[in-house]
Amino acid sequence: MKETLLIIEDNEQNLYLMCFLLEKSGFAVLSATNGRDGIKMALHHKPRAILLDIQLPEMDGYAVAAELKKHGELAGVPIIAVTSYAMMGDREKALAAGANGYIEKPIDPETFVGEVEKYL
Amino acid sequence: MDRLAKGEIDLMPDVAYTADREKIYSFHKVPVLSSWSQVYARKGGGIKSILDLGGKRIAVLESSVQQEAFVRLADGFGLHTTIVSAPDFRTTFEMVARDEADAAIANNFFGLMNAKKFGLEDTAVVFFPSTLFFAAPKRASKGLLLTIDSHLLDLKKDPQSVYYGSLKRWTSEEVRFKFPAWLQILGLVVGVVLLMSLAASFVLKHQVNARTLELRQINQEMEHRIVERTAELAAAMEKAQSADRIKSAFLATMSHELRTPLNSIIGFTGIMLQGLAGSLNEEQHKQMAMVQSSARHLLTLISDVLDISKIEAGQLALSVTSFALRPSVEKMVNLISPLAEKKGLELKLDIADDVKTVTTDQRRLEQVILNLLNNAIKFTEKGQVRISCRTEDDHCLLSVADTGIGMHPKEIDHIFQPFHQIDSGLTRKYEGTGLGLSISKKLLEMMKGTIHVESQWGQGSIFTIRFPKNTGGLP
Repeated sequence: MKETLLIIEDNEQNLYLMCFLLEKSGFAVLSATNGRDGIKMALHHKPRAILLDIQLPEMDGYAVAAELKKHGELAGVPIIAVTSYAMMGDREKALAAGANGYIEKPIDPETFVGEVEKYL
Repeated sequence: MDRLAKGEIDLMPDVAYTADREKIYSFHKVPVLSSWSQVYARKGGGIKSILDLGGKRIAVLESSVQQEAFVRLADGFGLHTTIVSAPDFRTTFEMVARDEADAAIANNFFGLMNAKKFGLEDTAVVFFPSTLFFAAPKRASKGLLLTIDSHLLDLKKDPQSVYYGSLKRWTSEEVRFKFPAWLQILGLVVGVVLLMSLAASFVLKHQVNARTLELRQINQEMEHRIVERTAELAAAMEKAQSADRIKSAFLATMSHELRTPLNSIIGFTGIMLQGLAGSLNEEQHKQMAMVQSSARHLLTLISDVLDISKIEAGQLALSVTSFALRPSVEKMVNLISPLAEKKGLELKLDIADDVKTVTTDQRRLEQVILNLLNNAIKFTEKGQVRISCRTEDDHCLLSVADTGIGMHPKEIDHIFQPFHQIDSGLTRKYEGTGLGLSISKKLLEMMKGTIHVESQWGQGSIFTIRFPKNTGGLP
């Protein structure tokens, strides 16, 4: 059975890019374009891992991560922050908010899937 | 006078000259004094003019020239007077004082000196002007009189002489000194000059006062303006700083926004080049590779702009960790080696054995090293790039030496300034933002390190960075 991953990302192209790469590698990919939908889907589908963009409309990635961590049923689900910020602070903030790791944008198609698999 | 005529007296002073006397006595030429006769009467006696003398007793010097002259004068006015004789002027005054006479006739010198003593005052009756001389007997020698003349002449020339002194004593009258003409002119000139300088000093003082006031006003105005201008400057400064912050924030946001679409460009070109979306023919592959290369370059530019704006906005914080420096340097050299290989350049790496663990911002240090390596390869067409690393006390030294184009001394001054490029203009040979070295310098400063360059035009450059093994600030 294919492992299911949830991507929360508001940028259509980036979402498509990640979906494409992960699906090519044999994952089933769910996606949400805002934090609230993402949390609902996470609780409903209980994915293997969640790829979370930090820059999201309304509710940002830090808030989404913190919210997801409140739900015990998602305790074993790793949250991988995807940040386009090259700033140190953002990575640390993401980890502090509950993310288990991070992948930096721009993603490299050659290494992206491998980086995701490290957290599974 | 008789004794003089007889020759018993050789010389007699104060003799009034008359034509009759000239026949009996000898006179000299220069007059001693000019004199006249005057009528003196008791104070408040009511005798003012000659007409008041009618029927009065007049004391006169016995058989004197005054008596003759007065009698003629009185006769001329048709006045009848009683003449009372006295042996000398003093007696005439005493007689008036004792009321033995109503008026006395004396010469003006005597009157001037003695009238007050006897309670007399002078009247307006003045007559018989005469000049007084020394008189000598007719048969006396002329030498004496000539000597008197010459002495008198001398005495009269000098205002300070005994002559004037005596005159002053007798008359209590201030003698008007006769200043020599040159002295008068000089005095006048000096006076005028003094007056003028006094006036000038007044004018000057006035002008100085006015100017001082003016200056004070100007001063106050200046102070006021300075205060105003300072406030304006502070406001402008605040505005500029705020504009600077806005600029930096704008650049940071803008860079971020630019990176998002770049993500997908780089991502999808990667997918296509990998053949994940189907195979490409040779030409399609070549062109996709160009898109990817340009996109990566654009990403570097954006990252640099983001870095410098964050540094300038003070938003960049170091992330200090402890790590082994050797593998870190090796990693950067490996990363750059394909570029060197492509240009046929030799890469030499020499890391001293004592280079161990350092505590600083690994990512930023690597960024600096990569920048130096990139520059070295970019500006070198043949030869080698040599990287050496060693320690010195509690600092690490890393230098990158190339055999490239080098720099002119005046160029070296500018290379650490933001947006400096080795050659500007549209036909630039070397691509870049011109931010690399400026960022490296600022990053090193944050790590309490320095960057130093030695270069020779056409020979190559050596960039050396020096940074503490422990930057500090490790949590």
